[in-house]
Amino acid sequence: MLELNNVEVLYSDVILAVKGVSLKASQGACVTLLGANGAGKSTTLKSISNILTTEDGRVTQGSITFEGARIEGGDPADIVRRGIVHVLEGRRVLRHLTVEQNLLIGGHMEKSGQAVRRRLDEIYTRIARLAELRKRTTGYLSGGEQQMVVIGRAMMSRPKLIMIDEPSLGLAPLMVEEVFNVLRSLKNEGVTLLIVEQNTRVALGLADYGYVMESGRIVLEGAASDLMSNEDVREFYLGLNLEGERKSYRDIKHYRRRKRWLG
Amino acid sequence: MIDFLNYLINGALVGLLYALIAMGFVVIYRASKVFNIAQGELVVFGGFMVWWMIVQAGLPMAVGIPLAFVAAIAFGLAIEKIFFSRLVGESVFSMVMVTIGLLILIRGLVLVLFGPAVRPFPIIFPLKPIILGDILIPRSLLFGGLITIATGLGLSWFFNATRTGLRMTAVAEDHQVALSLGISVKRSIAFAWALGATLSTLGAIIFLSGKSLNFLASDIGLAALPVALLAGFESIAGVLLAGLIVGIVQGLVTAYVDPAVGGAVGSVFPFLIMLAILFIRPTGMFGWKTIERV
Ligand SMILES: Nc1ncnc2c1ncn2[C@@H]1O[C@H](COP(=O)(O)OP(=O)(O)OP(=O)(O)O)[C@@H](O)[C@H]1O
Ligand SMILES: [Mg+2]
Repeated sequence: MLELNNVEVLYSDVILAVKGVSLKASQGACVTLLGANGAGKSTTLKSISNILTTEDGRVTQGSITFEGARIEGGDPADIVRRGIVHVLEGRRVLRHLTVEQNLLIGGHMEKSGQAVRRRLDEIYTRIARLAELRKRTTGYLSGGEQQMVVIGRAMMSRPKLIMIDEPSLGLAPLMVEEVFNVLRSLKNEGVTLLIVEQNTRVALGLADYGYVMESGRIVLEGAASDLMSNEDVREFYLGLNLEGERKSYRDIKHYRRRKRWLG
Repeated sequence: MIDFLNYLINGALVGLLYALIAMGFVVIYRASKVFNIAQGELVVFGGFMVWWMIVQAGLPMAVGIPLAFVAAIAFGLAIEKIFFSRLVGESVFSMVMVTIGLLILIRGLVLVLFGPAVRPFPIIFPLKPIILGDILIPRSLLFGGLITIATGLGLSWFFNATRTGLRMTAVAEDHQVALSLGISVKRSIAFAWALGATLSTLGAIIFLSGKSLNFLASDIGLAALPVALLAGFESIAGVLLAGLIVGIVQGLVTAYVDPAVGGAVGSVFPFLIMLAILFIRPTGMFGWKTIERV
């Protein structure tokens, strides 16, 4: 369904943030993209939704294909119309608007006002919490509530693929669970998901397949269950090693990490 | 007492006129974050279009006025296309520099096209004032005030409840989020300029009806600036209220303070208000405060 082939992203003509990433998400799959800060995860998602333009970035190499059509460098509105929606990092609600207004904006591509209303009711039944909050100004909601709003807003456009950037960031464990329950229900419904996470455990719990990124490259990939038991992932991302003590990722020489992953 | 009422009502109506001009300013600012210092020049341009269609070309009002609006909208769109479409996301500073350039450019254009001479503006609203007992109200201001209130409430509803309006509000809040939802930021900004030019032309008609017109009419744009600032730059309904406040205060100060000190305190008063706001509350009374939640 979605395929990135050797994608390179350049910011401001000098900063190469993504250096040849290839990844794939097939219809109905849940794929997660893991990696430390600055690895290039968000940039990869932005290259797909092509909102790179607002940051003076562009795809300089490689191809992005969605349902057989090349979409790299396309108009963001066209990409949403094709069925890809990108939930940005950091719970970007439209803070001065109500929950309902946020959702209505998410559904702005529907053919009629009535169709938007119908979709709105569907979302309210799906995420009951949003129905309770409909009249509230989103800027004053809790982090978890805001995360629900941006997910609901993305769902308004009836996407085939939802890309979501660090949905668990800064949320209490209970809230993380609630957010991932919504994502699980989307997955069960057949929506394709591409989740960027630093909360490796939760992400691998939901995903079928995972990629690990480091300094702009994919350094490891595999079925979620394999990654979960992979020694490196356990050590560096789940924070467990054989002695049960936490070890900093940085403690180990780069070449050794590479070698182990490639091996 | 009657005098006071007279000053109050006329002040309020003048304030509503300021509010109308300020709305054009706010609409453009919301979408594009362009602080359009040349808003008054848009009023002058709209005014000259009306003058040209009706006085020069001799068209009947029912034809000439709509055509003037069309010309003004085309002008607004052209400005956006030529000067601002490439600047989306640039710093406030460079935007302000461009609008200053624009101000000089439009002024020059108006002088070249229409000359510096004072032209009689057509009488759109009958000149005879409305007399209520001892209170005298110019018809243009009264009708203008009603049009402004209707426009303000209409725009407010448009931005908060219609699909196109909500799209524009999303653009006003966050360009990147708007893009991520498939909203065309470019189209919203262009629409805002068209709307801004329309409001300016409407303002020109109300302001200039039965008066005379030359390039200096752009001063009204300056007078509207404190209103936009007082309101904050995002709230349309707030602009109405801010206009009333500025207009009434200015009217009363002109009536009661000016004779006492023998100077034009009234006309500078809005700017004193503006400075005070900048010090006390830069987001205005109804503007979007940056909601901070950590
Ligand atoms: N707009 C930008 N202009 C220039 N460089 C950028 C820009 N955005 C990101 N970068 C750089 O690109 C690299 C990848 O950033 P990106 O945001 O994609 O990382 P990330 O994996 O999402 O990290 P995090 O987990 O912290 O969100 C970083 O080195 C970052 O400094
Ligand atoms: Mg990121």
